[in-house]
Amino acid sequence: MLELTGLTAGYHGGTVLHGLDLTVDAGSVHAVVGHNGAGKTTLVHTVAGLTRPSAGTVRIDGREVTGQPAHRLARAGIGLVPQGRRVFAGLTVEEHLRLSHRPPRRGDTTRPGVWTPARVLELLPRLGERRTNRGADLSGGEQQMLALARALLGSPRVLLLDEPTEGLAPVLVRQVHELVVTLAAEGLAVLLVSPSPAQAVACARTLTVLTSGRMTLRMSGEDARADPTALRAALELTAAGTATDNG
Amino acid sequence: MDLLDAHLVPAVDGVAFGLLLFVVAAGLSLAFGTAGVLNLSHGTLYAIGAYTGAELSDGTWGGLALGLAAGTAAACLAGAGLSAATAPLARRGHLAQALLTFGLALIGGDLLIQLFGADELPVRVPEMLDSSVSLLGHRYPAYRLCFIVMAVVLAAFGTWVLTRTRMGAAVRAAADDPEMLAATGHNPRAVHTGVLAAAGALAGAAGVLGAPIIGPGPGTSENVLMLSLVVVVLGGLRSLWATFFAAIAVGEVQTLGVAVAPALAPYLLFAAMAAVLVLRSRFVEPATAHGSGPSSPGPVARLRERVSGWAAPLSAWSGRLPGSPAWRRAAPPLVLLAVLVALPALLDAYSISLAGSALALGLLAVSVTVLTGYAGLPTLGQTAPFAVGAYATANLAEAEWTVGPVQLVLSALAAAVFAAVVGPAVIRARGTTVLMITLAVGELTGAVVNQLKSVTGGADGLVGFPATRAWWGGPELAEESELYAYALVVAVVAVALTLLVLRSPAGKLLTGTRGAEARMRASGHPVGRYLLVAHIGAGALAGVGGSLMVTVQQYLAPADVGFEIAAFALLAVVIGGTTSVVGALLGAGLIVATRDWVAGSWPGHGPLLLGVLFVAAVYLLPRGLAGLRGDRPGGGGGRPSAPPVSEGPPPPGPPSRDDQPPSRPPVRDDGPASGPPVREGRPLSAPAPNSAGKVSS
Repeated sequence: MLELTGLTAGYHGGTVLHGLDLTVDAGSVHAVVGHNGAGKTTLVHTVAGLTRPSAGTVRIDGREVTGQPAHRLARAGIGLVPQGRRVFAGLTVEEHLRLSHRPPRRGDTTRPGVWTPARVLELLPRLGERRTNRGADLSGGEQQMLALARALLGSPRVLLLDEPTEGLAPVLVRQVHELVVTLAAEGLAVLLVSPSPAQAVACARTLTVLTSGRMTLRMSGEDARADPTALRAALELTAAGTATDNG
Repeated sequence: MDLLDAHLVPAVDGVAFGLLLFVVAAGLSLAFGTAGVLNLSHGTLYAIGAYTGAELSDGTWGGLALGLAAGTAAACLAGAGLSAATAPLARRGHLAQALLTFGLALIGGDLLIQLFGADELPVRVPEMLDSSVSLLGHRYPAYRLCFIVMAVVLAAFGTWVLTRTRMGAAVRAAADDPEMLAATGHNPRAVHTGVLAAAGALAGAAGVLGAPIIGPGPGTSENVLMLSLVVVVLGGLRSLWATFFAAIAVGEVQTLGVAVAPALAPYLLFAAMAAVLVLRSRFVEPATAHGSGPSSPGPVARLRERVSGWAAPLSAWSGRLPGSPAWRRAAPPLVLLAVLVALPALLDAYSISLAGSALALGLLAVSVTVLTGYAGLPTLGQTAPFAVGAYATANLAEAEWTVGPVQLVLSALAAAVFAAVVGPAVIRARGTTVLMITLAVGELTGAVVNQLKSVTGGADGLVGFPATRAWWGGPELAEESELYAYALVVAVVAVALTLLVLRSPAGKLLTGTRGAEARMRASGHPVGRYLLVAHIGAGALAGVGGSLMVTVQQYLAPADVGFEIAAFALLAVVIGGTTSVVGALLGAGLIVATRDWVAGSWPGHGPLLLGVLFVAAVYLLPRGLAGLRGDRPGGGGGRPSAPPVSEGPPPPGPPSRDDQPPSRPPVRDDGPASGPPVREGRPLSAPAPNSAGKVSS
């Protein structure tokens, strides 16, 4: 599981994320919803080690990994599906799979699932048909599959999904959500970041609304499904609030 | 058939030469394409291998093997060291790293001469290979045939590693998106070090094996670097096969070309390089930043902080100066002017003549500032218009046209015409491509200088022409102090004119173009025309500098307008802070002082001192001398200093994949659009599932 306490991060321009506390249990999906600029991608980048936090801690399965570089965090069990997919343009699908395949250390039985290229292709058969195509030659949906495959092949404990359905057709959006639920059911802790509350509600056990880098609402997925108005209100209210702030 | 027969030996030589270049250039291409380091010390890595190999090979197989192992290992270590040296600069762009490697090349060259002497070392190959074999009725050195086989094996092995192994995939992924490579659990820093070490090993091995072809000597580094740069540019960065064919072509030009058309061969290479760059116009540039985002403050950063700590009193003092901001803005040039006027009273005759040369080089540096800092075109080729101005003045003087203002105006005109002719080729490109194109322009000019003996005196240079007269009917300028006074007046007028233009609305247009080119275009500004005008103006300024140099030193040699001077001018600009005219002048002064004055007390070590200066300037002055004044963008005090070209940290947030320079959108008038009609005032939405081809249409 993933535990963030008092996580604060930003860039040269200033702090983006202010003291966020957040827990993702193994086997569940925690969705973070917020408008553009709320700090969602900064959150994902900080957990993945692409941005260094200025305060707070990150723990994976109780072990503190705060401030470690990205490749160490990846080995510690963080799998990242970044915004915009970012597949390697010049590498073939086959090479992506080979490069990302990193079996857990021998004796490490704590991983929720051990992934091999064969198993990934079973889950995402479309990639198997495009093994020799380069990343740049794939369609948006295929690139998203490849980005997911790349993250899974490290046999992660925690899966970070940054707007995984951005720019995908509705039918693919549903497939991605089904996949996310399946993966969580295997024991992965999934942190899903999305601007759309509808997507988050569909598959999350817990929901967090992020506004200007701070948590403004947390509720369970069941509550949100039963009565979506609270979540909508939080998002609309915050939007109105920002508007008045600026005015 | 006879023709083929007559040229068989040079043609096979060309293959050997080309393969040698391929192995060297593959390393250079690897370092630039995947580690983002434009390694101007790559030739030095070759020289390390060549010297080590020549020293250890004693005509036995064991000697050759030992030399190969030691030379490869030494160059490999040097490559790894380069990785450590350039890593702290990764976020500051290609220019800073290129200058650093050039400084290291100067230092390395000096050390090699210390260790192995200034003469070319003889190279002994194993006796079995030191014979000739029969090749289609010709005698041909066995070693070269053997070399061809070894180079093919080496090249094939390297290609196999890069394209077929997981390690090779990691290297290519690092070139594409180092952050995502890190997210898959691979350390991009390790890949960076590995790539530069491998590039070093390739250069070292090529040096040992190729020593009988391009032997170890003082000129080896630059020769190898230039040729492999040509190969890399001709071949592009992403395709090994293209690099291979480019290398063979260059090899054939250097051997067969010289045998068939000796007068043309020197031009052919750099003309081809310039043509390819201009036609392709968008040389694929690799990502700059590597490493996984957060970088801890290293020793370099701490040292830099300490340096700005020393400078803090200075900036505090300048902040407390009385007077309006306009007055404070004018203060540095005025102080510099006062010092320059007072110099003759302070220095001896020799130093005064050096100061005069520094003013000439300073004008060259100012012209580089205009292009690099204002127009956003970092140039290594301003020595070309500088040379045009210099040779124009020398020839005018020989024709007894000795009146200074006439020489200056005609030299400036000639240089401006030259700049107008090559300008269209330069202004199409951006970033490192400009460096390469201008380098090619500079080298082409150098080739012309060497060939056109009637005008330039060839390698001997020009000497003994009548001295300049400051005005019509005036006496010839002979005394050092008179020459200096003349140079000072000319430099002041030229710099004042430049400052006036740069601070006028025209200068703002240039700054806007550099900062937000797409927006300037979208606002209806003819960006290309602005850049061309800037290029012509900078060319004229460099021409004045060249004219001044000839007047002051009263002789002219090809080395005065060579690649080293171009690199010095760029360094002067970096030392000064890329947008500071006064800084460029100070930088030029510092360089001339280091090269001729300080080195005078330690003869033969000028390059070493300059190399140290390069390295120190790149590490310690990220924003140049101008940065020491404590100006902050948007802060109070002085003028807001724009971040220098490709020197500032990349904008935070977006992945490094977006760090590539914005490609200029092609502006074209498409005819009647095909596909669905879009009626005025109505957005047309195209709902369709992914892969339906929405984007492609």
